[in-house]
Amino acid sequence: MLDLLRRAQSLAALSGILLLAILISPRAADGSRIFLQPGNLTDILRQISLIGIIALAMTFVILTGGIDLSVGSLLALSTTLTAMALTRAWPHAYYTSHILGAILAAVAVSTLAGALNGAIVSALRIQPFIVTLASMIGVRGLAKWLSSNENIDIGFGRDLAAEFAAVFREKAIVIGSYACAAALFWILLARTVFGRHVRAIGDNEKAAQYAGLPIRRTKIWVYSLSGLLSGFAGVLYAAENHQGNPNAGVAYELDAIAAVVIGGTPLTGGKGSISGTIMGTLIMGVLTNMLRLNNVDSNVEMMIKAVIIVLAVAVQRGRNSIS
Amino acid sequence: MTAPLLEARDIGKHFGGVAALRRAHFSLLTGEVRALIGENGAGKSTLAKILAGSVKPDSGRILIDGQPAPISSPLDAQRLGIGIIYQELDLFPNLTVGENIVIGNLRYPESRLVNFQRIDDFCRPFLEQAGLRCGARRMAGSLSIGEMQLLAIARALSMNARVILMDEPTSSLFDDAAERLFGLIRELKGRGVSIVYVSHRMDEIFRISDRATVLRDGETVATVEVGATDAAEIIRLMVGRNLNIAARPYRRPLGEVVLEAQGLTTGKLRDVSFELHRSEVLGVAGLVGSGRTELGRALFGLDRIRGGAVHFQGRPIKPASPRDAIRSGIGLVPEDRRLEGLMMHMSVTENSTLAVLARIAKRGFIRRRLEISGLGPMVRQLALDCPSLASPVETLSGGNQQKVLLARWLLLDPDVFFLDDPTRGIDVGAKQDIYRIIDGLAAAGKGVILVSSELPELLRCSDRILVLSNGRLTAVYDAKEATQETIMASATNFGTSSRQPGPLTGKDAS
Repeated sequence: MLDLLRRAQSLAALSGILLLAILISPRAADGSRIFLQPGNLTDILRQISLIGIIALAMTFVILTGGIDLSVGSLLALSTTLTAMALTRAWPHAYYTSHILGAILAAVAVSTLAGALNGAIVSALRIQPFIVTLASMIGVRGLAKWLSSNENIDIGFGRDLAAEFAAVFREKAIVIGSYACAAALFWILLARTVFGRHVRAIGDNEKAAQYAGLPIRRTKIWVYSLSGLLSGFAGVLYAAENHQGNPNAGVAYELDAIAAVVIGGTPLTGGKGSISGTIMGTLIMGVLTNMLRLNNVDSNVEMMIKAVIIVLAVAVQRGRNSIS
Repeated sequence: MTAPLLEARDIGKHFGGVAALRRAHFSLLTGEVRALIGENGAGKSTLAKILAGSVKPDSGRILIDGQPAPISSPLDAQRLGIGIIYQELDLFPNLTVGENIVIGNLRYPESRLVNFQRIDDFCRPFLEQAGLRCGARRMAGSLSIGEMQLLAIARALSMNARVILMDEPTSSLFDDAAERLFGLIRELKGRGVSIVYVSHRMDEIFRISDRATVLRDGETVATVEVGATDAAEIIRLMVGRNLNIAARPYRRPLGEVVLEAQGLTTGKLRDVSFELHRSEVLGVAGLVGSGRTELGRALFGLDRIRGGAVHFQGRPIKPASPRDAIRSGIGLVPEDRRLEGLMMHMSVTENSTLAVLARIAKRGFIRRRLEISGLGPMVRQLALDCPSLASPVETLSGGNQQKVLLARWLLLDPDVFFLDDPTRGIDVGAKQDIYRIIDGLAAAGKGVILVSSELPELLRCSDRILVLSNGRLTAVYDAKEATQETIMASATNFGTSSRQPGPLTGKDAS
């Protein structure tokens, strides 16, 4: 019942913004609303996909009462590694296996980095904010060092790297990846033992210890998943931008955290949902699109987003104090 | 007599859709000790919080000395001379004793800089009055729970309180600290301070209070002269029915030894040895700080075992974590259910099955039908009263929360149960249910170690009673022969006496 109400509220907020976007949408030459054009709607979905994917795992991290500031840097590392593997490594490999190898290598490295975050958080009992702040700095440094601080261009020719980019920047592939990841993480949280453990640890870690739950293992997995999804988002980033950019993903962690928080997961953890995070991501995406269609200055856009974040959390607080 | 010092009329308060108070009446005379009693959820804590200004009532009026006195904040209450001592003591552990007294205190003249000398001077008389023998510069967090309570009283006194509300002040005290508190209450009464005493414990009410106000379902049922009534009458008023205090159950013969500790030594425990048999309830008595909780921590892998050995069914074990201990077959129901036991935002079902998810899952996926169907018999066995199995446990009463926590361990079904004060702060009816569960565990061949602050409870439930004092085992009694006096004597025997511990094994004792 309460859960239904929570979902309904996120949904109501999203509907409100959608309605507003439709109402104030500029019109095309034929009189139709530009916002509602299929091309625009799918553009929104593609634009939110990277942050959306990262926010899915961020939800798990925040549910355990943690935070992962390193996701933007992990994305940069992964995007750099993808581009390097495609353009510089394995010159004699076959097309498909070369592409798959590049993706796997990039994702594996960022997953391992995430696992290291989790291991340090749980074994040394250092606050996740500090640990991931350190790795946000360190991993960014690694990405820049590996690429000598230069963009690695993938190009638009007919070579392997360009083929990769052509496939993985397809709207269907990008949006489909987000949809699949969302479905998987939804099931993971709602239906599995792992998901139950994640919520229990976030709600009361001491009680979780007394109940004999595998706290360390769960946390390492949670941060690994965060690394994995950031790495995957990095692969998509490389394709979309035709380059591996060690300076990519700056402040992505903040957008992802904002989406999670707007979706109703408090930073103290313990309660929240994937559906909420998806709503939060969509709210931010539609808002951005609406403002840009109406030629609102991007700096003003940031100010409006700031208000939305505070408003969303204020509404949630009000609701909680009633119950 | 004159107009009442404090009067509350028709107080109503809702939390969400739930009525905590409907039409509560309350009036208090100067220098009176008044017990405020009722089952959990009856509204006594809410009423106390309203009088102290930390909760705002929806309706009703409060009068002081016959004059309307709107109380809408703790500061208002302080101005009107009402002090409160919360069950969860609201102290700042990282500030000094003195700072705790002067912070937010209207009587302490404000200054921009902290002047410890002035704080010392201000606090000294009140610390003396409260009987807290410690310097004002000691950190509050280093005090024992009993001392913290005295500090809270000193704080109320320093605010010149004419009324002090105490919300279950003895729920975490052992009898000696409670004894000191009672002495202090008598002294305060002698000086004309009125005390409102919220409690579950019948014996205390008869010892210290003049009158008792009984609440039931948010309404005032009656206010009775304690001298002219008895416990059965008050219990009848509380529950609205006659409740027979269950007789001591039939004791069954003990089974084999399931758990054995030899010379167990940790940071707190010194050389503790005992045997626990199947079908046995082994009571553990001791003052707070005696090592009774630490005994559980050692067996459950939370404290490092520095010396001695623990055998489980003859095999030596050395649990390094609760996970380890659970695998060996030991379960522990912790003392503080909110802090160490329950996930307050999660549902009754999720809390109950948390430790046995592996059993009801297939390839990592929780089989939800199996999860819920497995819980049905448990809910009936525990007489669990909740709106729905999907309700978050934070919405349940203390007694029902405790039952959910017990359900978790009953489902896990270990061979040894360590129950650390399982009836702390819960109502009479739920206590009886928990005694029944403990009897049932023994009947099912489990070994049960029961820690309790209430001696009658230990005498009611146990086969044998271990007494700990200052980390050492000072006596072992057969529960049939022990009395509250003999147990108290052993519990306060601080290592100076040369008295030998009693017989150590069940066979010798029986």
